Amino acid sequence: MAPQLLQGSDAVAQAAIAAGCRFFAGYPMLPFTDLLESMARRLPEVDGVCMNAESEIEAVNMALGAGAAGARAGTGSCGQGIALMQEAIAEAALNEVPFVVFNMARGQQDYFQATRGGGWGDYRTLCFAPKDVSEAVEHTQLLFHLADQYRAPVMLYGDYLIAHTYMSVDVVPIDFGPLPPKDWALDGSLGGTGKSRQIWTWAMGKAGDPGPGPDLHWQRIAEKFEEMARVETRWESIDCEGAETVVVSFGTAGPFVEQVVGELRADGVRIGAFRPITLWPFPEAALAEACRSADRVLVFEVNAGQMIDDVRLAVAGRVPVSPLGRVSIDFSGMRQGEILTVPWIRDRVHQAIKEVKV
Amino acid sequence: MTTPSPAGPTGAGVPAGGPAAAVLIATDAPPTVPNRKVAGALAPLQLSGEHHLCPGCGHPVAWRLLLEAIAELGLANRAIGVVGHGCYTNIVSLADIDFLQCLHGRAPAVATGVKRVQPDTAVFTLQGDGDLASEGLAEVLHAAARGERITTIMLNNGVFGDTGGQMTAASVVGQRTKTSLDGRQPEAHGYPVPVAELVATLQGSVYVARGAVHNAGSVAKTKRYLKRAFELATSGAGFTFVEVLTMCPTGWFLPTADGPDYIQDTFEQTYPLGALKDV
Amino acid sequence: MLLTGIGGQGVQLAAKTLAMAATAEGHQVLMSSHYGGEMRGGQTEASVVIADEGLRSVPILESVWSAYVMHARYWPAVADRLRPGGVVVANSTVVDELPTGDFRLFPVPAGQLAVEVGAVMSSGFVLLGAYGAITGLVGVEALVSAMRELVPPYRTQHLVVNEAALRAGAGAVTALDAPAPFGAPARSARASVGTAG
Repeated sequence: MAPQLLQGSDAVAQAAIAAGCRFFAGYPMLPFTDLLESMARRLPEVDGVCMNAESEIEAVNMALGAGAAGARAGTGSCGQGIALMQEAIAEAALNEVPFVVFNMARGQQDYFQATRGGGWGDYRTLCFAPKDVSEAVEHTQLLFHLADQYRAPVMLYGDYLIAHTYMSVDVVPIDFGPLPPKDWALDGSLGGTGKSRQIWTWAMGKAGDPGPGPDLHWQRIAEKFEEMARVETRWESIDCEGAETVVVSFGTAGPFVEQVVGELRADGVRIGAFRPITLWPFPEAALAEACRSADRVLVFEVNAGQMIDDVRLAVAGRVPVSPLGRVSIDFSGMRQGEILTVPWIRDRVHQAIKEVKV
Repeated sequence: MTTPSPAGPTGAGVPAGGPAAAVLIATDAPPTVPNRKVAGALAPLQLSGEHHLCPGCGHPVAWRLLLEAIAELGLANRAIGVVGHGCYTNIVSLADIDFLQCLHGRAPAVATGVKRVQPDTAVFTLQGDGDLASEGLAEVLHAAARGERITTIMLNNGVFGDTGGQMTAASVVGQRTKTSLDGRQPEAHGYPVPVAELVATLQGSVYVARGAVHNAGSVAKTKRYLKRAFELATSGAGFTFVEVLTMCPTGWFLPTADGPDYIQDTFEQTYPLGALKDV
Repeated sequence: MLLTGIGGQGVQLAAKTLAMAATAEGHQVLMSSHYGGEMRGGQTEASVVIADEGLRSVPILESVWSAYVMHARYWPAVADRLRPGGVVVANSTVVDELPTGDFRLFPVPAGQLAVEVGAVMSSGFVLLGAYGAITGLVGVEALVSAMRELVPPYRTQHLVVNEAALRAGAGAVTALDAPAPFGAPARSARASVGTAG
């Protein structure tokens, strides 16, 4: 197919459907709303279901139900709406129901919420932060695959610039390889045979066929997340080899930093850019490697300093780590404010480099 | 008054005074129909009788009615139960049908997701009054308003039994609980929420009934309510709701044996039994 | 390019039409919008980036080659980002004092032309037709097709006048001597995307 001009939300909706998503539930909240509208328009065309739920709590629990019944399911919101969903995201992690949460965040203030979670239990949420619409289209499809592969809820960290930017994109279905059959999904068919199914966070099993129970079950879940942390990290590293300064950013801030770093590199400054693509698992080892020759690490994020904790953990005190960003939101409260521009970042990077040299 | 049996050698009772009179049973000879087993200790689809519920609890009776209804309607291999948090949760281990145990109060939303992607299944929720009337009132009302083709069953004993007997949104006025020791007082605690009546007002609900398990007649009626609810929901008519009043021997400040009377004398004043809506 | 005006003038629709037409002509396009919560009367701005291939641009632009000005109220925000010698296509019907500066100004009486072709609501399309013809970025046929695709089914009564407006704008101006410059090819960088898996 030829590339089409698509709004980011619509491109993500098409990518989700291309990945086999057939159930979506959400509650309007900008800038997530456009994705809900696109799903409501497009899912019925493929015999899917989109629910305009009565709350974020209902939406995420509907997605959990659809996921438990074997469908590829999604939900989404942003900020406070994601906060309302955290209990169910944690529950799905512990009872192993896959679905994708589309967090079209208000700015970059959802980093803690996306990577630490707010629900109960020893769980993690695999979280991809695309830098632009094209990457969001790819990540959306990969996330549906990984959710099924790990039987876990996963998250896409988008924002206003992903949701509302129009881009020429070609949504091509991506084949990520085979997955085991969903023989655990509930369809009622084994009732009365002695082999009926059960999805239960406590994993107590059936009378005569006891399950592992919470202690063993949750240990196994924790091991699964450890395995994900080992193999699912993704990142982009630009000109970091030999760099004295490395600027770390995530999501849609990445391309702005990339442009500034490119200009400085062209001017002979030994500077590189590093962008975690997975926020959890954070690519700690790759960042440590990228900062091998650096004597300063700058963290640009449009918040009061959230990802910087992970950067500091990754470099483990070997290199000084300084924040470049701050809280910055536009008047609508939906979108990154004035600091997300190339000139603002360029000035701060210049300043930071000078300060250390003096 | 009964009259002495004029039983003949057939053993059959002969109606005295015409067809309208009572049937008399002869007891001086063996019955013509041999005795037979009509029910086992275990309900159909029940895997074990070792439930952990207290003696005198009404929930196991409701479980049994639920499983009998499912079995008799031939829904065993289409049923998916979505179960809330409470004493009744253990049915997930005890019954041989598919179950999804979900977050407190959210079962109707979860069941919506299940039913929408598996439209040929018989999806039901099993919740208590704490789960449904307190924590999850929004979910059940919206599911009803949307006319989801599911059956929601609320076991109502007016108390959080699992946590030791605290007041719920459905506790009746005057009911003693651990958090209303002098009885529920409207001026301090407000009034109980009559969920069945609320659900019945919504256009998406097609069947709403309230049964109980405190005597044989109510048990028999409750089973009929459950079967009707499953039939209508699985036929695609809309949302169906059955409330079942159950005794709580530990959460009520009463001798266990007085539980059935408490339902009849006190609960039924707030929660009258019968079918509220049958479209 | 940047498009500026007041909410309700059709600036966002013009931006989308331009972006869709350029996509249909085989270019790579990035378009982003900036407007307030109100539907009408507030600041509205859109940016469109058109490239031949390998488009690499952030969605919030530092500088632009051209501007489309439906109203001058928010002009200063655009002027700050216009490159020296850039192209400004302005609606002279409502822009009382045409801006001056180090740029080439093309005044187009879009409001007046719209009235003349019976498309009083479509002055934004007149200016877009003119912009396309002056810059040579997109042909009027592509703009017409894109407009047809973008107008929602419940507004199809506007299709005829919108088309007349686009053509009137395109017919009222002459093209630049030199065509619009597309973005330079992407800078080569030693970028690596890694995965532990």
